[in-house]
This record gives sequence, structure tokens and C-alpha cells, in this order.
Amino acid sequence: MITPTLNAYLVLSGLLFSIGFFGVLIRKNTLVIFMGLELMLVASTLALVAFSRYNGTMDGNVFVFFILTVAAAEVAVGLAIIVALFRKRQTIQVDQLDGLKN
Amino acid sequence: MTLLQHALVVLLLPLVSATIIALFLRRAGNWAAGISVLAATAIAAIALILALHGGRFESSWEWLRLGEFSLSLGIKFDDLAALMLVIVGIVGLCVHVFSLGYMHDDAAKARFFGGLSIFMFSMIGIVFADNLFMMFIFWELVGFSSWLLINHWHEKKSAADASKKAFIVNRVGDFGFLLGIIACYYAFGTVNLTELATRVEGGAVVASSIPLLLFCGAVGKSAQLPLQVWLPDAMEGPTPVSALIHAATMVAAGIYMLCRINVLMVPEALTVIMWVGTATALYAALCAIVQSDIKKVLAYSTLSQLGYMVAAFGLGSLATKHEMGATTHEMLIATGVGAAMFHLTTHAFFKALMFLGSGSVIHGCHHEQDIFKMGGLRTRMPLTFWTFTIGVAAIMGMPFLAGFFSKDAILYLAMTKSTPVFIVLAFTAILTAFYMVRLWKITFLGTPRTHEADHAHEGGFTLTMPLIVLAVLSLVGGYTAYYPKVFTQVFELIPEAHDSAHTVILITSLTVMIVGAVSAFFLYQCSPNDTLAQKAPGLFNALGALRNSFDVAYDYYVAKIQQRFAMLLNFLEQIFLAGLIVRGFSGVVGLFGMGARALHVGKLSVYLYWFFGGVVILWLFVTGVF
Amino acid sequence: MSNLPFDPLLAAIVTPLALALAIALGLPKRWSVLLSYVAFAIPALMALHVWWYFGDAAKDHGYAFITEYSTGLDASGIQLKLGLNGIALPLFVLAGLVGLAAGLYAIQSGAERLKIYLMLLLIMQGGLMGVFASIDVFFFYFFHELALIPTFIMVGVWGGRDRGYAAMKMTIYLTLGAMLSLIGLIALYVKSGANSFDLISLRQALTAQPIVATLQNNIFALLMFGFGILVSLWPLHTWAPLGYGAAPSSNAMLHAGVLKKFGLYGLIQIALPLLPAGSLHWSGPLAWLAVIGNVLVVGFITMAQRDLKQLVGYSSVMHMGYAFLGIAAGTTLGIGGVVLMMVAHGFSVALLFLLSTSIYHRTHTFSMDEMGGLAQKTPVLAAFFVAATFASIGLPGFGNFWGELTIFVALWQFSPLITALAVAGVVISAIYGLRSAANVFFGPASDQLAGVTARHPPTDLAWSEKVPALILLGALLFMGFWPKSISVPLNAALGESVRAVQQTAAK
Repeated sequence: MITPTLNAYLVLSGLLFSIGFFGVLIRKNTLVIFMGLELMLVASTLALVAFSRYNGTMDGNVFVFFILTVAAAEVAVGLAIIVALFRKRQTIQVDQLDGLKN
Repeated sequence: MTLLQHALVVLLLPLVSATIIALFLRRAGNWAAGISVLAATAIAAIALILALHGGRFESSWEWLRLGEFSLSLGIKFDDLAALMLVIVGIVGLCVHVFSLGYMHDDAAKARFFGGLSIFMFSMIGIVFADNLFMMFIFWELVGFSSWLLINHWHEKKSAADASKKAFIVNRVGDFGFLLGIIACYYAFGTVNLTELATRVEGGAVVASSIPLLLFCGAVGKSAQLPLQVWLPDAMEGPTPVSALIHAATMVAAGIYMLCRINVLMVPEALTVIMWVGTATALYAALCAIVQSDIKKVLAYSTLSQLGYMVAAFGLGSLATKHEMGATTHEMLIATGVGAAMFHLTTHAFFKALMFLGSGSVIHGCHHEQDIFKMGGLRTRMPLTFWTFTIGVAAIMGMPFLAGFFSKDAILYLAMTKSTPVFIVLAFTAILTAFYMVRLWKITFLGTPRTHEADHAHEGGFTLTMPLIVLAVLSLVGGYTAYYPKVFTQVFELIPEAHDSAHTVILITSLTVMIVGAVSAFFLYQCSPNDTLAQKAPGLFNALGALRNSFDVAYDYYVAKIQQRFAMLLNFLEQIFLAGLIVRGFSGVVGLFGMGARALHVGKLSVYLYWFFGGVVILWLFVTGVF
Repeated sequence: MSNLPFDPLLAAIVTPLALALAIALGLPKRWSVLLSYVAFAIPALMALHVWWYFGDAAKDHGYAFITEYSTGLDASGIQLKLGLNGIALPLFVLAGLVGLAAGLYAIQSGAERLKIYLMLLLIMQGGLMGVFASIDVFFFYFFHELALIPTFIMVGVWGGRDRGYAAMKMTIYLTLGAMLSLIGLIALYVKSGANSFDLISLRQALTAQPIVATLQNNIFALLMFGFGILVSLWPLHTWAPLGYGAAPSSNAMLHAGVLKKFGLYGLIQIALPLLPAGSLHWSGPLAWLAVIGNVLVVGFITMAQRDLKQLVGYSSVMHMGYAFLGIAAGTTLGIGGVVLMMVAHGFSVALLFLLSTSIYHRTHTFSMDEMGGLAQKTPVLAAFFVAATFASIGLPGFGNFWGELTIFVALWQFSPLITALAVAGVVISAIYGLRSAANVFFGPASDQLAGVTARHPPTDLAWSEKVPALILLGALLFMGFWPKSISVPLNAALGESVRAVQQTAAK
């Protein structure tokens, strides 16, 4: 059986992070951007678990538990904000949400 | 009480009087007048006691110390101070009493008498001052009192302008005076008059700049060329003020100050002083001829006589150049002091007399000051006429009157020291007799030319009494030999001509007096027009132009140069400093702001790119690419 | 010895601040006004109290009435340490008295939103008392900022013409000045190695081990220009006439009279003793800048002013030139002269601002071309104004004279040429001073004024205006007649702070 090396996990994690990052950069839909953010978060959890396994300690796993919990809360809040935003502005396209100016 | 306490009372009494008037008696004019006159009486009495007692003393108190610098206020009471104090006391009392009548109906009587008290305080401070800083302090204070009193009728623009001019012109002189005092302080380490004398006698060398700078103060206060312009204008003040401040005492303070610092004099400085005095004497006498305002004639006459005194002081030691030797040096300076102080004394009496006489005339003629609108006052105001005549005779140098002796002393000094000055002063004496007789004849002789003059009347007791006192003093003031032997330090210095020189002087002074008086008496008619203007309009206008020349030049300077320079600087400040530079800077900052605002698009995705860019730059920085 | 059961310095600082807080928390207007009398009077009374007992009080390094309060920042060397030495004492009294006058004038002014106005003024007053009572440099600076902030608000809200621009300009200038000086102060703190903001410790540390000369020069430059902006050193002065012109009177009185002195006080109390080499290095440029810029150029500019308040503002800038000259001279005499000058100028300029406003209430204009002859209607006001004018142009009998005289005498040692130029300023100030008095009060009334007075017959100075004016005038006269009241405590303190400069100069 081929045991995946640490490198493989890290490459996968980097790929996931890149996908998420470019999603955030390029996509205009707030929901998709949000998904991209989540993807980056997940990528970092993956790296943490991999390191944890590799080092044989529980540090990374503990971090992941915290991140997952916070991420769950964050998703709830984030989605709620997006819904509220849509109700108010009838759009969730970021290039139309330029209320920060003026 | 000790003598020192007497002196302190004299000094502080008028201050107390002024304070009481300012605080409580603003609306109670009669009370204010009473208190002020009471103070003046006490001053005159104590001044006489102090002088006649013969005790002389010095005392001082440290008033301010910062580090090694110490400023004292003190009293130096020697014969010179005693003489000056008596003059101030007596003339001051006469003027106070005269003011009771003259200012009887004035609306701001309290302010007037308060001002007189302040003046007495300041003037006595100058007299007592034992060091130059103290003298400067009171020097400024007399300037302020002069401002206050000239400005008495402040609703008149001319009075407001005249007071302003007087103070500012005096400040110009004080500029030099203060620098001189400071220079003196660093040159000798002291400004105490007695200590200065010791240092100089001990061989300290005096730079000629110090006496010249100090002389600037006298030029301002005693209205010498080229700062004489304020004195004629100062006649806007009430006549008693003109008599006290602008004839007898304050303007003489310059001479007094010079006499105080005579130890600092060097030949170069004295030459300058002599010529300034001589020029002023001549210039003012020429101006006096074409005046039609009775007070202005007297003002120019005062200027001229002050010029005499300054010249006398300058003459006193000129001979050091010719007659070498350390001992003669001292002697000769001192003769100048004697002659100048002697003339100051007699002048104070007869000029105050004439000013008060003119006040009596003005009062009698319902505030008419133009002599061509008077005439015939001899019969209507006999007492004023006779006392005024004594004053005129005294200033002309009529034998056996006060002016005769003091003027002869000056002429004698001039004759022995400098022929050109002697000629100028003798010529000035002709002019003096000329304009005085002109004034006297047009005002008092002939027939009244206006309604006011026709109904002129002698004033009350308060107006006439001071005239009589001053007339008596003008009659006898010249006989120094009969003075109580308490002013000997001053009077023994008066130069006296002997033998042939005596004859020459006597003849000269009689000749110039008679020439001047007779020609004026026969030239001027008692008519409403100036005879000189009709017979020799060219000369008349030339003299008028000469009179105006300084004012024109100064007005031009003030309006066209100084004010424009100020406007220009103000313009530059508003345009360049506050405008271009400051607003320019704010513009540059604003441009940055606009640039920064362009980055501020409000789109999340764009901000993300900024963020990303920032991370990249940070990373590059950390890895050491920069 | 002070025999109060509480710390008079702290009471002077805290009382106004406490009332300000109470007003902020919603004290009713009637109580606010009534208590304001108390809150303005207490600092003045405390100031007079400490002045009276200063001579006999126990002193440590020249400081009397020392008390320390922990702030929780003791580890960084920051403590609320209060005390007065001979330099701070006269300024503390100045702050107390001018504050009382400004407060009384504000209470009767009937300004809109009087409660807030009084609250801001009280904060200012508390800050000002704190500035001069602090031995700790941190609190010295802190109290200055505390007093400065209300200035901006008051100019911006209650100001006159151009108030928006004036408030903005003042804010930028003064913040810049304060920032520069703060950098300088922090540099001092760091370089001294004393790990303390306590001025006494700083002084001891730096006397034992002075900072190297080049660094001293740099730090002194920061302080000189930083404080210089606050004191309107030419050409960084343009905020001053504009700001004072726009400021409401009580604020202008406190700012021009007291707060402005912060910069000079800082230079004397901190920069000179701690940076003697720096001060010697910069004395030449400072003197020339002050004499040409502040005294002569600004003097002429003052002559060209037609607006009464602007004129007073510019004249204040001009007189600050004399103060800089005294600092440049750097001797006991010169610095002592600066302190005399600061105190006297504080009283006289406050009085002039007060009276200008009183004139405005009667003429409804500040333009002097439209006035004239007011003395016939309001003789008492005229008398006060004339007295204030003569005080500010240095007539003997008023405090200003001593300041100018001693500065001139001290300056001669520095440079006779500069002295001559500076004394020429005395003539200039006489010209504009007397001209303004004549334009406003003397001669016949202008047509415009006749019109205004016909519509609103002017009344003479009311007691509510007369009392603050009398406080200020009385202080000026007292100083003028009895300069020892200030010079005696001053001498002891100056000996210590100037010694460093003179020792360095001797080397």
C-alpha cells in the first residue's frame, strides 16, 4: 500500500488553498467568494492535520477542532450577512456593493 | 522727619493724589482740583524747606535684581536737584492755582488735575533720580503725562494727533537714550550718577558714542532739531499744561539730564551738542516770526531758548580742545552746566509767566488764540499786560531782569569758545527781541479788532495771582548773588565776564536787544494782517516753508514710506506667507490626499488585490529583496 | 508654610475639571453657572495662596509644594508629580488670575449654549493650572493638550469671522508644533537614561552625563521649532492673529495670555537646562529670526492692521519676539526678563482681548476705520483701554516694562546690533499702540459709528466687565510697582537652570 507522504498532503492543501484564493480574487458573487474563503480555511486545516500526524503530536488536531467550531459559527454569521445584504440591495455581486466609497 | 522722608513725601504725594483722583473722584471735579492743588502746595513748601535746609543726601533701594543685574530706585539730592526741585515746585504750584480758574468749567476737570498730579510725580522722579535707569523710568512717565494732558480735549482730532505725535517722537529719542544707558551700564558697570563720576575721575575712558546716545534722549524731550516737531503741536493741550510741561519743566528735563551726566561728556560729543542747540535756537526763532497763534509763538520761543541752553551746555567744555590739561577740562564742562541751568531757571520763570499770561488772554478773549484778532488788551487786562511785559522784557534780555544775566552768561561762553556760535546766538537774540515785541504789540497795543477782544476782561484771583508771583520771580530771578547760599554748587559755575569782555558782552546784548525790539516795534502795525506778510511776502512765505519743512518731510515719510512699507509687508504676509506658502503646502498635502482617494474605490475585490499586493511587498521585504 | 488640609496645586487643577465633568453629566444650567464662579475662583485663590507662602515653603531642588500621585504607569517613569519652582510660580499665578478674569467674562458674556462653553473653558483652565504645576514632563505635555483641545472646539463653534478656516489652521499648526516638541521630549527621555519623566531626575541625570553636542543641537532644534510654533515664532506665526481674531474673547484671553506661554516655559524649564550646548548653538539663529521676523517685520505688519482684534493678535506675536530674544541671550538676566515679560504680557494681552470685545459690543465692528470718538461715550472703557495699550507698549509702572528693559539689557551682551534693532521695536509698538487707541477712542466719531451709536446708545463699562478688567489691570500695576514679587523667587530658580548654559558657554 502506498502511504501518502507529508508532501502529498501539503501539495493537496496548497492546491485547495490556491483554488480558494483565486476564487476569492476572481469571482464576483459573494456566495462564491465565501465558499472560496471556506475552501482556504479547509486547506489550512488539512495542512494542520497532516503536520500533526507527521509530528506525532496532538497540537494540530486541537487547532483543527477550534477552527471547525469557529468556522461553523462564521458560516452561520456570514451567510446571515449575505442574506441580509441581498434583502437590502437585491444583489450580492461585489462589484455592485461599493458602499464603502463615499 | 528726616530730610530723606521729606523727599519721599514730595515724591509720593502727587502719586497719592493722582491715585485718589483716579479711583474715587472721577466725577467730583472740584474735589479733585482741591486735592491736586493741595498736593502741589505741599510739594512747593517741602521743596523749599528741603532746598533751604541745605542738607544734601543720597539714598537708594534695590528694586529689581536678576542675577548680577541690579536696578535701584534712589534719591540723589544735591544742589542741582534742589534747584530743579524748587523750580518744579514753584512753577507747579503757580500752574495748579492758575488751572483752578482756567479749567473751572471744564467737563473733565478731574482727569486734568489727576494728569497734573501724575506729571508732578514723574517730574520729581526725574529730579531725584540717582541713576540713569530710574531717570529713564520717570522719563517715560513724563512722556505719558504729557500725552495725557495734550490729549485732554480728545474729541478734537488735532489734539489726539498732537498727543500721539509727541509721544512717538519722544520715543524715537528714547530709543537712543535707552541704548546709551545700556551701553553705559556695560562700559562702567554702573549707571549710578555718583559712581559714574567716581569711575570717570578714576580714569575710565568714555567712548563718544555713549554721551551722544544719551543726548538723543534730550533731543527728544527738549525738542531739539530734528525732533522738535512735536512741541509746537503740543500747544493743543490746555494752556496751563503748556506753561508747566511744555515750557518750564518737562522740556527742560533734557537739559537737566545733560547736566546730570556731564562727567560722561567728551569733546566730540559736546561739539555735536553745541551745534544742535545753536541750530535749534536759530531755526525756532525764525519760525516764531511768522506765527499768528499766541501759543505757537511762545512754543517756538521755548524751542529757541531750549536751543540756547543746549548750546550753552555744549559750549561749556569745547575749549578743552584748545586749552589742554586735565584740570581745565573739568572746570570747563562745569561752566556749561552753570550757564545752562541758570538760563533754565530764569526761563522757567519768565516763560511760565508768559504762557500763563497768554492763558489769561485766551481766557479773557473766550478762547481766541489768533493775535491778529486781539489788540488793545492793555487797557482791558492791565494786570496781564504788565506782567506779560515783564516776561517779554526778561526774555529779550532787558538789563537787570532775569533773562539778561543768564543770556549774557551764555553769550560770554560762546564768545570765548566759538565765534560762529556766538554770531548765530547773537543773531538769534535779535530775532527773539523781534518776535517778542511783535507778539506783545499786536496783542496788547492798538485798539481791539474783534468783539471778543473788545469785551476781554481780567480773570479772577486764581488767574492773576500766579502771574504776579512769576513776574516778581522774573524780575529778581537773575540775581544769583542774593539767592540763599544753597545752590552754590550750581551757581558758582556760572561763567562771568570780566573787564573788557564784560563790556563787549554788555554792548552786544544791549545792541541786539534794541535792534530787534525797535525794528519790530516800528515794522508791525496794529492791524488784523501780518505786516511782514504784506511788505515782504517772499520772506514771509519762505519762513513759513522753513517752519513746515520738517513736518512735510516727516509726514511724507510716515504716509508714503513707513505706512507703505507696512502695507507691503502685510501684503507679502497675507499673500505669500499665509497664502502661497501655507496654502501651497496644504495644496501639496491635498494632492496626496486626492491620489490616495483615487485608490479608495469601495470595491471589496479591489481591496483584496491591494491586500495581496501588500503581502507580496512584505514578503519581498522580509526575504531581503529590497 | 502652606497650612491647608489639602494639596492646593491639585485642588487648582481638579476643581475646574470636576465641574466640567459634572456639567457634562447634565448639571442644570443655573447650577453650572453658579458653580462656575467657584470653580474659576478656586484656582486663582490657590495660586495666590501658594504665591504668598512660597518664600517660606520647604523646597527640594528649588521646588516647593511637591506631591506625588501614582498613575499606574510608574514603571515607565510617569507620575503625577506636582510642585512649583520660582519660574513656574509666577506663571501659575498668571494662569489662575487670567483664568478667573476669563471665566468671569465668559459667565456674563451670555454666549449661546453657555453650559458647554463654560465646560470647555473649565477644561482649559484645569489644563493650564496643570501645565505649570507639573514637574513631570509627561503631564506637563498632557495638560497642555488637555487645554488645547477646547481651543479648537471653541474657535470652531463660537468663533467669529472665518472660524472654520481659523480653527482648522490652528489645529494643524498647533498639532504640528506639539508633535515636534513631543518628539524632542521623548528623545530627551530616552537619551537621558533616567527612565523617568520627572524633570528633577532628568536634570540630575543630564547634568551628570550630558548628551553629546550634535545630538543636543538636534533635540534643541526640535524643541525650538516645536515650541516655537506654539509661541508663534516667525515665520510660523500666521495661525496666531487669525486664530485670535476668530476666537471668542474668553478663549483668546486664555490662549494668548496663558496657553501660549507653554512653549516659552518649556524652552526655559526644559530645553535650556537640559540642552545647554544645543541652546548655545541655536541662540544666534533664534535671535536673528526673532528680531528681524517677530519684532521688525511683524511690527510693521501690525502697523498696517485695520482690524482691532487682528492688531492685538499681531502685537502679541511681536512681543513674543522679545521673549525669544531673552531666551537667546541665555543669561539669568535675559531669562528672568522673559519670565517677567511672559507674565506681564499674559495679563496685558488678555486685558486687550477682553476690552476689544467690549468695544465690539458697543461699536458692532472691529474695523478701526469705522470707529473714533468712543471716549466721549464710554470714558471708563477708554481709560482701561489706554492703560492696557500703554502697558503693552512698555510704559514704566506696568509689568511689561521690566520684562522689556531686562531683556534689552541682557541682549546687549549678546549683540549690541540686535539690541538696537530690538529697541527700535519699542518705537514701532508705540506707533501702532497709540494709533489704535486714537482711532478707536479719540477725535470725532466716524459716520458709521455715529449711526451705530444712534441706534444702540453705548453704555460705559458694566461691573461685570469691569471686575475682570480690574483683576488684570491690578496685576499689571502690582508687577510694575513691585517687580520683586516675581524676581525674588525667580532668581533662585534661574540660578540653577541657567548655570548649565553658562558653564557650557565658559567651555
